[in-house]
Amino acid sequence: MNGTLLTTLLGALASAAAALLLAPLFEGLLRKLKAFLHSRQGPPILQPYLDVAKLLGKEDLRTASGVGYAALPALALSSVLVLALYVPWGPDPALGFGGDVIAVLYVAAASAVMLMLTAFASGSPYASVGGSREMMMLLSVEPVLAVALITAAVKAGSLHVASIRDWQLENGPSISLAIAGIAFFLALQAQAGKLPFDVPEADQEIMGGPLIEQSGPRLALLRWAIWSKQLVLAVLLVELFLPWPRIELPLLAVPVVLVKAFLVLLAVGLIDVVNPRLRIDQAMGYFLRVAVSSLAGLAFAVIGM
Amino acid sequence: MNDKTTTAARVGELLRERLGPALLELSQPQSDTVLARIDKQAVRAASTALVGELAARFLINAGIDRRETAGDFSVAQLFSLDRDHLFVVLDCAVDPAEAAIDSITAIVPGAGWAEREFRDAVGVEPRDHPDPRRLILPDDWPADQYPLRRDFRYDERPPAAQGLRPPEIEPPAGTSVISVGPFYPVLEEPAHWRLFVEGETVVGCDYRGFYNHRGIEKLGDSELTYNEIPYVAERICGICGFIHSTCYCQAVEEAAGIEVPRRARFLRTIMLEIERIHSHLLWLGIAGHILGFDTVLMQTWRIREPVMWLAEAISGNRKTYGMNTIGGVRRDIAPELEPRIREVLDTLEREVAAVRDAIAGDATLMARARGVGVLTADKARELCVVGPPARGSGLGIDARVDHPYAAYDEVPVQIAVEQEGDTWARVLVRVDEILEAIRLAREALAALPPGPVLAEVSEEIPPDRVGISVVEAPRGEAVHAVWTGGDHRPYRWRVRAPTYPNLQAVPAMIADNTIADVPITIGSLDPCFSCTERFEAVDLRTSEVRVYTQRDLIEMSQALTRGRKP
Repeated sequence: MNGTLLTTLLGALASAAAALLLAPLFEGLLRKLKAFLHSRQGPPILQPYLDVAKLLGKEDLRTASGVGYAALPALALSSVLVLALYVPWGPDPALGFGGDVIAVLYVAAASAVMLMLTAFASGSPYASVGGSREMMMLLSVEPVLAVALITAAVKAGSLHVASIRDWQLENGPSISLAIAGIAFFLALQAQAGKLPFDVPEADQEIMGGPLIEQSGPRLALLRWAIWSKQLVLAVLLVELFLPWPRIELPLLAVPVVLVKAFLVLLAVGLIDVVNPRLRIDQAMGYFLRVAVSSLAGLAFAVIGM
Repeated sequence: MNDKTTTAARVGELLRERLGPALLELSQPQSDTVLARIDKQAVRAASTALVGELAARFLINAGIDRRETAGDFSVAQLFSLDRDHLFVVLDCAVDPAEAAIDSITAIVPGAGWAEREFRDAVGVEPRDHPDPRRLILPDDWPADQYPLRRDFRYDERPPAAQGLRPPEIEPPAGTSVISVGPFYPVLEEPAHWRLFVEGETVVGCDYRGFYNHRGIEKLGDSELTYNEIPYVAERICGICGFIHSTCYCQAVEEAAGIEVPRRARFLRTIMLEIERIHSHLLWLGIAGHILGFDTVLMQTWRIREPVMWLAEAISGNRKTYGMNTIGGVRRDIAPELEPRIREVLDTLEREVAAVRDAIAGDATLMARARGVGVLTADKARELCVVGPPARGSGLGIDARVDHPYAAYDEVPVQIAVEQEGDTWARVLVRVDEILEAIRLAREALAALPPGPVLAEVSEEIPPDRVGISVVEAPRGEAVHAVWTGGDHRPYRWRVRAPTYPNLQAVPAMIADNTIADVPITIGSLDPCFSCTERFEAVDLRTSEVRVYTQRDLIEMSQALTRGRKP
């Protein structure tokens, strides 16, 4: 019993640390990719670490009082770290249980909700426009994530993330899960706040939206949460929908998962570079269509394809 | 020539018929200008006749303080008959004892700002103006001081007052106010729009600008001489400097009857088109950036850079070339430079064509630009919109065709016109214009005639003449009008940048769009606030010139940071 507890604890620590420590590296690589396609030199790959370190050392300025407001950025980041515990990073998730697909859905939404609350509480009209856009994006992207995960659950006959992955490894690719995977990928584009779906932040329209009044350590934590979230969701995507081949050795499995996640994020970055920003109504319409199309995947899963 | 004469006769006939004795004097100081001195009571009747029956387009007006010579003020309303290459000036004398004139904004909505401006500048009241608020003066400026009156010194500074706010329009019930400005990230210059929004939809707006007004016109008629003004005119705008210096020089040349050598006219054409190329590429990049499409920004600016190097090779400067002077240009294009110019233009043509193909097929870009910020042809005509926004709305006006100047009569322009009036149409017009500008620059270079580049101007420029010149800037038509005076300087120099009429169309364009569409809609005008406001970065507090070195500036900033007064 003690042994299991210790393993769980160590696993949890390792997952959270991986999300926290690797996220800035992935962000740095994405910035380099963007710079390359812009014919620019771009910042050093390790710049995001320096950004975070610098911001963390600055004075904590707040535009609103209250413990809740003070804690929101930390809550946003920690909710992403909790999500990391339910995601398999090669080995099984640190905190898997029988119905954890449902938990993943909730926890994945949590950081967006925190960002939204920060926006509404920060007392800037730009932030509140950003907050309401964040809410609309959440409402349109969440169903897509839900349909994708439920398709996987129906297909594999389990609400357990690790079991779904194992089922995939045993049975190989299928039409329904391919559709679900694509839907999940499009949702990831929005969840990572990348173009054409970075509507809530929209620098040129509402100057960063929810982030406009955030500075110093608060900005560091929120940025870090956004970067960690894109990494964790990319890992979840490859583990659920592209888990092949099975690698037993954990020391090899972890880097392979990270490389695959990087390739997924590379695709996200490419789409980001070649698109302008959609309007909020266009983005919502887009995800409505994606949600409806992804129901086809669910239908395929029900009839066993 | 012939049609100018017949149209001029027709204008005279019409005005005589409509105004009767109110038409005091009719003259034709230049072949392309009809000057009508009319009774100020008849200004509405005359404007109605010109706009209604001859489809004249309002250009600008000028308030002139003539108290020291004729004992009155003058309000000159400038119109253009585009098809007939003719300008019409309605010169109305206004008695200082009753400094007011009927507003023509009801007849020509595009005259709204200009009438507020002569009220602010010389103190002639536009009677029954629909929006009589201040335009160019700051809110703490004393009510009885008018900066463009001759007895107001250029360096006079009325005391500042604190805590004054501009009178604002009340937002309609049920709407909230979102500010775009005074400092807005993608607009880069100060201008303040208060958007009245319902949810994300814009239902109305209010504008306050002219934060940068520093009185370049005042400098021109009180401190500078004819030959100094081109360099100040060039600094009206950081992008289309050559356009303003050309336009000013042409106005003076026209007033004084100076014949510019043919080679100089070709050189001006080449520089004007080079300026159009780099300005449109700059705009395309910014438009991409406004939509979050930074790849467009980076790539268009990369292909723009060789154009800047070219300008530097020709004139010695990337921008603000200092090339124009009255009577021609000060620098020639050396023959050994010609192959390099051709090479840059060829590469550019290829790359711009690639950009055009990439943009034209981009579905997301189209989704953001089609049907956004629609300006109907009627509205555009009413508000006297010029340049790509007018051509994007189906109005085929272009100063290079309507009032040919420089070498455009020998190198004719194919103008690009789109009908839709939306942001997408304005994008297409500008992209076409880049390719057309490359063609024009190349053809002008191939046809570059030999000869001198500068006319000898030996006689003094005679006083009491008027010269009007228009130049098609990348943003639209720039207008300079010069009334000559003594002392080697204009009596009055009037500048109208293209953004001035175009900005007045913003409320019509953003109505019923969403907040997300506002930046790209304003951006699609390629607005240039500093030109509009005739801004100049010269400190006029003391009449002595003080040059700050970089070291001085650094020390001053350090002192400020430490909390001391420099």
